[in-house]
Amino acid sequence: MTPCLEVRDLRKHYPLGGGFLAARRGIVRAVDGVSFAVEAGRTLVLAGESGCGKSTLARAILRLEEPTSGAVLFEGRDLATLRGRGLFALRRRMQMIFQDPFGALNPRMTAGEIVREPLRVHRAGRRAAQEARVDFLFQRVGLSPALRDRYPHEFSGGQRQRIGIARALALEPRLIVADEPVSALDVSVRAQILNLLVGLQRDFGLTYLFITHDLTVAEYVGDTVAIMYLGRIVEIGPRAAVFGRPAHPYTRALLEAVPVADPARRRPREPIRGEAPSPINPPSGCPFHPRCPMAIDACSAVSPPLAQLAGEGAEAHSAACLRAGEGA
Amino acid sequence: MRLPGLDPITRRRWRRFRALKRGYVSLVILLVAIGLSLAAEFIANHRAIMVKYRGTYYFPTFRFYPKKTFGQEAAAAAAPAAAALAEFDRSGDAETDYRALRAAWRGTAHRVFMPLIPYGPCESDFDYASWPTPPDSRHWLGTDAQGRDVLARLLYGFRISIFFALGLAVAAQAFGVAVGSLQGYLGGRFDLLSQRLIEVWTTLPFLYIVIILAALFAPSFWMLLGIMTAFSWMRITFYMRTEMYREKTRAYCLAARAIGASHGRIVFAHLLPNCLTPVVTFTPFLVVGAITALASLDYLGYGLPAPTPSWGEMIDQALRPENRRCLWLLLAPFAALAATLTLVTFVGESIREAFDPVRYARYE
Repeated sequence: MTPCLEVRDLRKHYPLGGGFLAARRGIVRAVDGVSFAVEAGRTLVLAGESGCGKSTLARAILRLEEPTSGAVLFEGRDLATLRGRGLFALRRRMQMIFQDPFGALNPRMTAGEIVREPLRVHRAGRRAAQEARVDFLFQRVGLSPALRDRYPHEFSGGQRQRIGIARALALEPRLIVADEPVSALDVSVRAQILNLLVGLQRDFGLTYLFITHDLTVAEYVGDTVAIMYLGRIVEIGPRAAVFGRPAHPYTRALLEAVPVADPARRRPREPIRGEAPSPINPPSGCPFHPRCPMAIDACSAVSPPLAQLAGEGAEAHSAACLRAGEGA
Repeated sequence: MRLPGLDPITRRRWRRFRALKRGYVSLVILLVAIGLSLAAEFIANHRAIMVKYRGTYYFPTFRFYPKKTFGQEAAAAAAPAAAALAEFDRSGDAETDYRALRAAWRGTAHRVFMPLIPYGPCESDFDYASWPTPPDSRHWLGTDAQGRDVLARLLYGFRISIFFALGLAVAAQAFGVAVGSLQGYLGGRFDLLSQRLIEVWTTLPFLYIVIILAALFAPSFWMLLGIMTAFSWMRITFYMRTEMYREKTRAYCLAARAIGASHGRIVFAHLLPNCLTPVVTFTPFLVVGAITALASLDYLGYGLPAPTPSWGEMIDQALRPENRRCLWLLLAPFAALAATLTLVTFVGESIREAFDPVRYARYE
């Protein structure tokens, strides 16, 4: 079966400087050779620290930024080569939910206009049908249709995110790329929005590419979890495997950093040393080796590829570490 | 004034503008003055508003009626007119002299309703032996060196000034907004190149070019408007460019692109409504500049051709040595110019204050 979304060796590099009469000062490798696949109706979570290239990856997949190289296959068709009308037609089927629930809504449009915007752009049905669909969407995401004529600033953060979700759902997409959809929300609202997203996936058979820096969120929604570090995936596998038997030292360090709300279960922690290196001059070999507690000499020389540890196909658990499987 | 159908940011700014009484009152006065100037033909005109003659009503404001229409041929002989004109005047094909008609029909069933100021802006009053004449009951602000009613010229001059300025503001801002938006939205090489061209264009000496062009062609209203627009659109591009650069990185713009909205829709439906603050705040000051510029050009003699009623030409006349004693010639256009500029400036200041984000944050 063709996966809903497949990404093959995707790269997005930004030249630094190198404009008119200026010397090029280097390249930012924001996304550096990422591959994964998401089956229809499933959720893949991309997790990682800020600055690891998660959002760039999301934008490159939706062609909001031109990828430097690589392929993005949506239901078997390569998006990277599509332009004009072909790309426009596919935009109906894949939508995005944004992190900042305020910035993603045009402050001069009413909530109803914002949700109707995709229908207008794609000329989906007559005006009355569009209005009816907006009402339906409002109800489905838990907003009263009576709020249609309010403006974004009159809503709370959670309500605004619901408007953003309704807009993403308007054209009945297959794939939704959610870029940190709950990071900007209060903890109390977070669970509501996550449950809404899970419910929508069940009802409409949506496929999610879910980006987060919060591992508790990843554990809650993810079928498959991919851990990103400095533009690469360092570990990917089924949720149970990644959280139960983390193979990459970076994954383990992240998991240890998750706070546990029970002082009796306090664990000894070995925090990650230092800060994430700059993606302009990434370290030689494995990009994580300067901060890795398990690093050996070979780590600074060889950049290990993702190697399969267990499972097959969609259930495969892979890690990019010379000492994967050791320790823990 | 309630303005329905506007987004809340604009509504809040309008409320703040209204609360700043000085600007609001100035705006109302200006709007009334503009409205009156639009009806100038019914306020200051040598033609009557309405004539009732033998049971028929005539509205001669925009129509030519010869003397014979109202049987004025005979009366014309009595009118003290210049000798050269007298022959034609008597023929009955010349235009009706409505003021004479009113005097002649006093006590009859015929009626003539004259405007408040029964003199046109380009018409010399031959009843006086010499001009200029000081203010009296016939000409409330006197007559100028050609015997034309100063008040009438002031009124028509206001209309030309304000519509020239508004036309210039609309044309210059429209062009500047288009160029600046394109620069900011497209960015890259187009931005770099066009920015250099604008910098070069900005350094061209405007006055020299107008003087050269005015020497080659007789400048008309539209030609002057075109020339001034060509030198007034640059400033707003700088602001629009940066506004667009900022707004296009906002997430709502990204969201519109993810939907598949066209560039046109992104620019016109999403970005421009969020980028118009500098346009609104700068336009009143552009209007002030345009009124001053037109008056200056007219004063220097490079503006609109005679006998167009113009404040600059009136000031020029008043400052000539032979008219030095005729203070009314100077005071009238000077006061009108100063009052208009002050009112527009008040409006501009209030708009700027209403749009000021700092105040906005503090009081809302």
